[in-house]
Amino acid sequence: MAKPSFSDEIANLLYAAHGNPIKTCIQCGTCSGTCPVADYMDHTPRRIIGMIMANYKDEVLASNTFWYCASCYHCTVRCPAQIDIAELMYALKRYSIWKHVYPEELIGPVFSETFVKTIVRSGRSYEPILAPAYMFSFGVREFLQEAITATGLMLKGRVPILPPRIKRLENFKRMISKVIPVGEAS
Amino acid sequence: MSEKVGVYICHCGTNIAGVVDVEAVAKWAGKELENVVISRDYKFMCSSLGQEMIEGDITKEGLTRVVVAACSPHLHEKTFRRACANAGLNPYLCQMASIREQVSWVVEDKEAATEKAKAMIAAAVNRVQLHEELEPTVVPVNPNTIVVGAGIAGIQASLELADAGHVVYLVEREPSIGGHMAQFDKTFPTLDCAACILTPKMSDVGAHPNINLLSYSEVEEISGYVGNFTARIKKKTRYVNEEACTGCGICIEKCPKRVLDDVFEAGLGMRKAIYRPFPQAVPNIPVIDRENCIYYKTGKCKACQLFCPTEAIAFEQEDTYIDINVGNVILATGFDLFDCKTIPQYGYGRLANVFTSLEFERMCNATGPTEGKIVLRDGVTEPKSVVIVHCVGSRDQRFNPYCSSICCMAALKFGHLVMERTDAEVYSCYIDMRTPSKGYEEFYNRLLEEGMHFIRGKVAEVTDAPRFPGEESKLIVQVEDTLIGKQRRIPVDMVVLMAALQPRYDARDVGLKFGISCSMEGWFTERHPKLDPVATMTEGIFIAGVAQGPKDIPAAVGQGAAAAARVQGMITAGEVLIEPIVATIHEEKCSGCRICNTLCPFNAIEFLEDKEVSYINAALCKGCGTCVAACPAQAITGAHYSNEQIFAEIEGILFDVTSGGDLKALRAEQERVPA
Repeated sequence: MAKPSFSDEIANLLYAAHGNPIKTCIQCGTCSGTCPVADYMDHTPRRIIGMIMANYKDEVLASNTFWYCASCYHCTVRCPAQIDIAELMYALKRYSIWKHVYPEELIGPVFSETFVKTIVRSGRSYEPILAPAYMFSFGVREFLQEAITATGLMLKGRVPILPPRIKRLENFKRMISKVIPVGEAS
Repeated sequence: MSEKVGVYICHCGTNIAGVVDVEAVAKWAGKELENVVISRDYKFMCSSLGQEMIEGDITKEGLTRVVVAACSPHLHEKTFRRACANAGLNPYLCQMASIREQVSWVVEDKEAATEKAKAMIAAAVNRVQLHEELEPTVVPVNPNTIVVGAGIAGIQASLELADAGHVVYLVEREPSIGGHMAQFDKTFPTLDCAACILTPKMSDVGAHPNINLLSYSEVEEISGYVGNFTARIKKKTRYVNEEACTGCGICIEKCPKRVLDDVFEAGLGMRKAIYRPFPQAVPNIPVIDRENCIYYKTGKCKACQLFCPTEAIAFEQEDTYIDINVGNVILATGFDLFDCKTIPQYGYGRLANVFTSLEFERMCNATGPTEGKIVLRDGVTEPKSVVIVHCVGSRDQRFNPYCSSICCMAALKFGHLVMERTDAEVYSCYIDMRTPSKGYEEFYNRLLEEGMHFIRGKVAEVTDAPRFPGEESKLIVQVEDTLIGKQRRIPVDMVVLMAALQPRYDARDVGLKFGISCSMEGWFTERHPKLDPVATMTEGIFIAGVAQGPKDIPAAVGQGAAAAARVQGMITAGEVLIEPIVATIHEEKCSGCRICNTLCPFNAIEFLEDKEVSYINAALCKGCGTCVAACPAQAITGAHYSNEQIFAEIEGILFDVTSGGDLKALRAEQERVPA
C-alpha cells in the first residue's frame, strides 16, 4: 500500500478523535476571523487547513499556528462546515511531538508534555509543577508578577499546596495509556 | 399451461455492462430459469431497436410474459409496458429488474454484482408468471385549476392558464397578491423597478374574467385524485364587506391605531389596525387586524365604520368556507427568510444598525418606510460605510447547507443602490461570488467598476466594542481577507445581512395535505430534478417557484409558466388513465371491522352500511398496500402485489445463483419439509 500522504495522516488523526475531516473546508475564513490569537500566528488556521490539503508538510510543521492555539474552540463553534478546528490543532501538536519536529526554543511542546505527565502521574493538574516548565522564558518582572499571583491564589486555597491525587490512580493510568500512546513515556 | 417468458438484459452502455457480466447473465437466465424461452442482452434496450426486438419476440415467439433487466422502473417501466402493448401483450405482464440502480451502481465487486443481477432477474421471472392482466381506468379531467400562492410564480401560472381560456382559482394567504417580489425595490441585473413590472401583472390577475382570486384565504383540505380534486378553501374574514368596499382608503386614514408591520415592511415600518399591505394591493380591500383593533379590545372606536362611505365595515363578519372542484393543483407557496437572530455574533436584534436583506429591500423601496432613503435605524443619518455580509444562514451545515442562490446578486444590487443614493463606501464579504445567469457576470463587472470593495472571507463577527482608534461608535466587522491573508477589522456605520431563503415554516404540513414529499431541507420534491422539475410524484399536483428550491425571479417565472403548460397538457388531453394497481375487498371475506377505513392515507375506503362491508374507491386508491397488510381477515388483495406474487419474488431473490440449482428442485424440497 502507498504511504499515506500528510493530509491523509492528519485526516486519520481527526477521525480517531471523532472530529470531522478537513476535506469539506470551503476556505471561508470564519476560523481565522474568529481566532483571538490569529494575529500572532505565522499562518492563519484557514491557511493551515489549505496547506495540509496541499500536503505542505514541512511548512505546516514549522509554523507556530497550532502551538499558539488557545483552545478557546470559538472557531469550532462557528465553522460552517462543522470542522473541529481546535481538535485539528491538537492533532497537529500530537503529530509534531511524535515526529519530534518542532523548533527547540518552543514552549508549547514542553508545556504540553509536562501537563500530560502531571496528569498521568497524579490524575490532576498541579500548577506549581506545571508553571516552571514555561515560566523561565518570561522576563524577571513577569516572573515576579506570576509568583505574587500564585502566592495569593495559594493563600486563598485556589491552588493546593500539595499535589492532589485521585482515588484508584492505577485504573486511571491504565485507561490513559490506552488513549494516549505517549502516556507510556511517563 | 406454462408461461413463455422472455428475458431482456440491458447493457446501458457501460453503466451496467461495465460491472455486470451481462452476456453470462443472459446465457444463465436462458438455461437455468424455469419457463424462460428467450434470453437476450442488448446495448440499449430502451432504444427503438431494443423495443422492436421485444415486440418482434412477442409476436413471433408468442411470449406471454416479459422481464426487462435494466434501470429503475421509475425511468423506463412505461417504455417497456408500451412496447408490450404495441405487440398486443397486456402491459402489466411486463416486469422490470433494476440491475442498474440496485446492482451496477452500488456494487463494486464484479462477481458479486453479476450474482446479484442473476438473483434480481430470477425474482422478476418468478413473479411475472403470476401477473394478471390489468386494465387502467379512464377518468375525465376537470379543466379548472387551483393555484396556491400568489407570488410571482403563482401569478405567472394563473395568467398563462387564464389567458388560454381555463378557469383558475388563485388562493393567497396574505391580504394582497404579489408575494415577496412586491416588497422589492429594484430587480437584478437590469435594475428595473420591481413594482413597475409586477403591478401590471397583479392588476391583470385582479381583472381577469377567468381568475377567481381568493385572497386572505387558505386551502383547508383537499381530497380526490388527478383530474378530480375537491378543495375546501377557508376565506378568512376581513371584517370588510368585499362587495361594498370601493378601496377608497378613508378607513385606513381615520384608524387611530398604529402597529408595527412585521410582514410586508419586515418590521421597519408601521401600519394601521385596518390596513392593506401596500397602495397597489390587489384586491384593494383592507383587512382589520383583530388582535390590534381598538374596537375588539374595548368595544369602542368604530372610526372606520363611521367614516366608510359605503358602509362596508362588518365587525360581525365570520370566516367562510368554499368548496371548489378542480382537475389540477399548482403549489407556489414561496419561502420564509432565515431568522438572523439565530447567529448571535452578527448582532442582529442587538446592534441597531445591523439590517436584514428584506429590511434593506424595504428601505430602498420608494414606497417603503424611509421613502427610498438609505439611512441608519435613527431614520435620518446617512451611512458613510456599509458592509454586506453574504451567506447568513446559507452554506452552513448548522443551519442550511445549500446555497440560497440569489444573495450574491442581491448584494451586488444593494451595493449599487447604496453608491447611487449615498456617498458611502460599500464592502461585500463573500465566500464565493456566484453570478451564473444571463447578464449576471456583467453586473458583477459593473459593480467592480463602480468601486464596490470585495473581500473574500466569511464575516466572523460584528461588534460594537472598539479595540483600535477610529473604531469608536462604529460597527466593527471582523473578517479574514483570505485573498491577501490578512485579518481585517472594518469600522462601518451599517451592516446588511444577506439572510438565507428557507422553506415555509409549514411547508411539510402543506406537502402532507397535498400528498407530496419534501426534501431534507423542506423544499417540495420534484418528479425529476432535471427532466421533470415542476411535476411531483403525485399526479395532478405541480410545483413552481422557490417552494421547489431557492431561485431568482426569472427562474420562478419560468417554472410558473412551465407548470401552467403541464396543466394545459392535462386539460387538453381531457382524460387521464388511472393505474389499475389498486386494492380490492372480497365482500364475502370482509367482516366489516372497519380497521382499514381509518388507516387509508388517501381516504379511499368507505363503509357500505347496507352490506356491512368496506369498499375501496379505485380512483382514490394509490395501491400503497396499508389496508392489505392491516386486514385481520386477509380480505383485501392488492392488485399487482398479491401475497403469491410477493412470495414468488422473495423465492426468486433467495434462489441460489451460484450452484446453478434449478427452481423446480428447490420448490420440491420446500414442499417436502413442512409436512
